[in-house]
Amino acid sequence: MRMGMQFRVRGNSPWGRHLLPAALILVFLVLSASQNANALPAFARKYGLRCSACHESWPMLNYFGQKFKDNGYQLMNDHDAPIWQNASYWPITLRITPFWSRESTNKIAVDTAGGGTGETRLTTTGFNLSGLDILTGGTLEKNITFLLVPSSDETGAFHFESANVRFDNLLHSPWLNVKMGKFELDSFISEKRTLTLSGNGGGYQLFHFIPVGDGNIFGQLGDNQLGVEWMGHSYNDRTRLSAAVFSSTDGNVDLPYGQNSYTAFLAGSQAFGAGKLGVQRIGGYAMFGVAPTTYLTSAGVPIPGSGLGNQSFSRYGFEGLFYLGPKLDVQVFTQHGSDNAWFGACYGDIISGTCDPANNNTTGILPAGARNPTWNGAFVETHFVWNPQFTIFQRSEWVRMSQQAFATNPSNLGDIDNYVFGYRYNPFMTSRAGFAFHNEYSWLRQRGTSPVTATDLTGNSLMLGFDFDF
Amino acid sequence: MRASKYAAAILTATLCPVLMFGGTVSGKVTYTGTPVKPKPIDMSKEPSCAKQHNPPVTTETVVTGQGNTLENVVVYISAGADDANAPTQTVSFEQKGCQYLPHVLAMHTNQDLKVLNDDQTSHNIHPLAKVNREWNKSQPPGAPPIDAKFDQPEFISVKCNIHPWMHGWFAVLKTNHYSISKENGAFSLPDLKPGKYTITAWHEDYGTQTQEVTITGNETKSVDFAFKAKAY
Amino acid sequence: MNTLKAAQFRVVFVHVVLAALCTVRVVAQDAPDVGPHPHQPLKPMESHIGHVTGHAKDAKTDYRRYCAGCHGDQGDGNGENAVWLDPKPRDFTIATFKCRSTPTGTLPTDQDLFNTIGRGVTNSNMPIWNTFTDHQRANLVAYIKTFSPRWEKEKAGDPINIPAEPPVTIESISHGKALFTKLECWKCHGPEGKGDGPSAATLTDSKDQPIRPYNFASGGDDARFKCGSTNQDVYRIFMTGVDGTPMPSFADTIQPNDAWDLVHFLRTLQVHRHSKENDVLKAAGGTIPPYVDKAAPSIQPASGAAGGGN
Repeated sequence: MRMGMQFRVRGNSPWGRHLLPAALILVFLVLSASQNANALPAFARKYGLRCSACHESWPMLNYFGQKFKDNGYQLMNDHDAPIWQNASYWPITLRITPFWSRESTNKIAVDTAGGGTGETRLTTTGFNLSGLDILTGGTLEKNITFLLVPSSDETGAFHFESANVRFDNLLHSPWLNVKMGKFELDSFISEKRTLTLSGNGGGYQLFHFIPVGDGNIFGQLGDNQLGVEWMGHSYNDRTRLSAAVFSSTDGNVDLPYGQNSYTAFLAGSQAFGAGKLGVQRIGGYAMFGVAPTTYLTSAGVPIPGSGLGNQSFSRYGFEGLFYLGPKLDVQVFTQHGSDNAWFGACYGDIISGTCDPANNNTTGILPAGARNPTWNGAFVETHFVWNPQFTIFQRSEWVRMSQQAFATNPSNLGDIDNYVFGYRYNPFMTSRAGFAFHNEYSWLRQRGTSPVTATDLTGNSLMLGFDFDF
Repeated sequence: MRASKYAAAILTATLCPVLMFGGTVSGKVTYTGTPVKPKPIDMSKEPSCAKQHNPPVTTETVVTGQGNTLENVVVYISAGADDANAPTQTVSFEQKGCQYLPHVLAMHTNQDLKVLNDDQTSHNIHPLAKVNREWNKSQPPGAPPIDAKFDQPEFISVKCNIHPWMHGWFAVLKTNHYSISKENGAFSLPDLKPGKYTITAWHEDYGTQTQEVTITGNETKSVDFAFKAKAY
Repeated sequence: MNTLKAAQFRVVFVHVVLAALCTVRVVAQDAPDVGPHPHQPLKPMESHIGHVTGHAKDAKTDYRRYCAGCHGDQGDGNGENAVWLDPKPRDFTIATFKCRSTPTGTLPTDQDLFNTIGRGVTNSNMPIWNTFTDHQRANLVAYIKTFSPRWEKEKAGDPINIPAEPPVTIESISHGKALFTKLECWKCHGPEGKGDGPSAATLTDSKDQPIRPYNFASGGDDARFKCGSTNQDVYRIFMTGVDGTPMPSFADTIQPNDAWDLVHFLRTLQVHRHSKENDVLKAAGGTIPPYVDKAAPSIQPASGAAGGGN
C-alpha cells in the first residue's frame, strides 16, 4: 500500500509509456463476421444510463444489462414506448473497429522452387478494418421489441445479422416472451458480446466447432438463426428459461438447404446471491437438430432447398458466470458435441461448399467404418474489471475429439487449443458513445491440419485497435 | 471597533437619560423604472374563493403604492444586532379567500408558526425550503392549525399546489429587528442600541440591498432603499 | 565468493522484481482511473438494513458504474444525462426524498432508500435495481447519505404507524370518494383519477420542473405507484406525502380508518386493474353510492399533533 502511494507521485508519466511497448510485442487480427456485439449507445441515450450500467465491460453484459435485454430492452417503468422519447430520438448505433495487427501462421501451402508444394510461415502486419454493424433496436410500443442489425463485412457486403420482433410480457407475465426472426441463440455467455476481438482469439471455438472433414455447418450456436423463440424469466431475472426452434440453415436466408429440417435450442440458468462475492449464475444449454445429407440435382448441380435425408446432431453443456468480488469474474463454458456419421463422412452442406458437391448421398449407404464424430470442450474466460473503464481479460479454450469419424484418423485430429489475453480501456464513460482502446494477443493450435504435411497448424495474432460505437 | 462601541455607549448613557428606548432606523422603500403591472388572478376554478373577491385580486409579486413606493419588502438587521432568542409569541399565516395573509411573513428562527385555513376548500401548505427541511401538508376546511417552526434563517417560498396562484413567503430571520414595508413603502426598526448595523432589504423579485448605519443614541436615522424594477 | 555473489544476485533480483511490480502498480493505478471522480473525502457513512450493514466506501465503484450518469458524481442530480430526463434525477445533496415511511419533512429510513433502489420509480428513468445483492444496495444507501450533511445532524423520522386494513365494503369506497372530493385530491388527479384535474397542468416540483400528477387509470394489473404497489404503500404515500413534489401529507388531517377508506376508493380508479375493491364495486352494481354522513363529520381533527394515528 505504502509503496504504491510513494510510486504514485511519480506516476504522472503517461501510462502508455509502461504498457505500450509490452503491448506492441503482442498479437493479432481480423474481426470475423461473427463480431456483432450488441452494445447500443442508442439505449444509453434513450434511458440516460452510462454504458457501465448494462455492460460489465462493453460489450459484455452484466446482470442488470441481461435483465434489460430479457425485458425486451425495457426498464419496465412505463416509459419504454417510443412515444415517451424526444421525437428526434433515433435508435441507431454504428460500430466499427479500425486496428493494426500482426498475423502469423506457421504452415501455409506454398509453391516451392522445384515445382512442388511446401509449407511456410506467413506473417503479415498492417492496418485493417473490421466490418460495420448498424444496430437498431428498441421498442415499437410498450412490450413490442425489435432488433435489426444490418451488418457488413470489411469490404462492405451487407447481410442481416439480426432481424426480429419480440412480444414481451404477454398476459403481464415475464414468463411469456415470444420472438420471431433472425436472432442470437439465448446463451447468457454471448459470443456477440465477447471482449475478445483478435483474428485467432476473437470468437469462441466451441460456438463454431466443426470436426475436420465434417459436413455439418448447422450446429454452430454462435451463428444467429432464423426461427422462433419462447423466453421466460423471473421478475428479477434470476431464473431464465428459453426454447427456440429454427430452420437448419445456419442463419442463411431463402432456405437453401433441407426441405424440412429444424433445430431446437434450449437454455436455462439460475442466478443466486453469494453475499459480498456478488451474484453468481449457472446454467446449461442443449441444441438438437436435423439437417439434410442428400440433395436433388439438376445437371449434376445440387438444387437449393431440395435437401433430404435428415441426420441428427447435438451440442449440450454447462455455462457459469462466477463473480469473485466486485472486480473479478470467471466465465466457464463446456460442450459435448456429436454429429451423425453421415456428417462425419462429409455429407451435409454441399451447397456452400463445405463438402464437395460430388459428395452427394445418393446411395443411402453409409461409407464403411464411418462413425459419429464426437468431442468435448471447455473454455474459461476471466475478466479483471479494475474499474468500469479498464478491463484485463484472458481466455483459455480446449476442444478434444473423443471419437473421430474414421478410426484411421489420428485421434487428436482437429483438436484445438486457444489462448487469448489482453485489455480494454475506455478513456471515457458516458451514455453517448462507446470507445475502447483494445490490445490483444491470441494463439491457436489445431492438431494435424496443416495443408501439406498434416501436422499441427498454429497461428497467432497481435491486435491493437480502436473499437468504437456511436 | 469594540472600544469605540463601548465609548459610544458610555457617551450616550451619560448624555441621554432616555436611552432605554434606543435608536430607530426608519425610511422608505421605493423603486425606479417600470414594474410589471399586477395581473388579476383567475380563481374561477375555486368558486368558493372567487366569490369573495370582487373585483378579482391581483398578483402580489410586486405591490406598489403612490409615489413609487414598494410594499412587502423585508427590512431587517443582518449584522450588528444580537442574535436574540425567538420571541414566545406565535406568528400566524392565514389562508383566506385563496390568498396568503400576510403575503410575506417574517419570523425568528425557531419561533412558533401557526398556519390557518379559513377557507371552505382544502389547501396544501408547501414551504419550498432549501436550507430548512422542505415539507408539504394538506389542510382541509375546518382542520386545526398546522404548527411549524424553522431552525435556519432562509427566505422560503410557500406554495399551494392545489391553487397555483397562491404564493407567499416565510422570511425566517436570526433577529427580531425586522419590518415589512407598508403600502407607502415605510418601515421602522426601533429599539436599537447604539452601534453599527447592517440593514438589509429583501424583495422577493428584486433581490436584496444592504446599507450600513451607525446609531449613537436615542436618535432616528433615516435610511431609504430604492430597487430597480425588473422590466418584464 | 560464490555464496556472496549468489546473495548479491538475490538482493538485486528481489529489487528488480519489486521495481517491476511497483511499476505495474503505478500503471494500473494511474492509467485507467480517469474521468470524473466521486467527491472527496468520502465520509465513513453506514447504513443498516436488517442484518446487513452497508459501507459507503464499498459503493464507490457501483455508484460510478450505475448511478452517476444521472445523479452526478457529486450526487447533485446533475449527471451528464440529467438534462435529458423527465422527471429529473434526485438531488442527494438536499436530502429530500419522495418515498418514505416517515413524516413529511423528515429524513427517510435506510430501509426506505433500500426499497426505492430495488423497486425503481415508475414513470421515470429510475430502473428497478433488483439485480443488486443486498450488500450492494445497502452500500449504495450509505453512499447516498454522504452527499448531505443532514445525515450527520439529523436522525431519520419515525415511520408512521399503519393500522390493520379494515375490510373493503361499498360504504368504505363511498366514504373514500367523499374524502377524495373534500380533500381536493381531484384538483390535481382529476375527478376520475386520470391525472387531469384543473391544477394538473400548473404543477411543478420543488426544482420548478413540471411534474404530472399520477394517473390512476393508466396501467393494468402491473400498475405501480411511484412508491410501491400494495394497499399499504398507497396508504403510506398520502400519509407521508411525496416530498419535493406537490403531493402533500395528509397525516395531520385524516384519521387512519378514513385513510383506509380513501385507499379503497383509489383502487377503484384503477379501472383496468383487478382488485378486491373493484370486485366489491362490481358486486354493488358498478356505481359508488353517495356517501351518507351517519354520525360525526367525515373529517375530524387528528388526535395527535403530528402522527395522525390513534
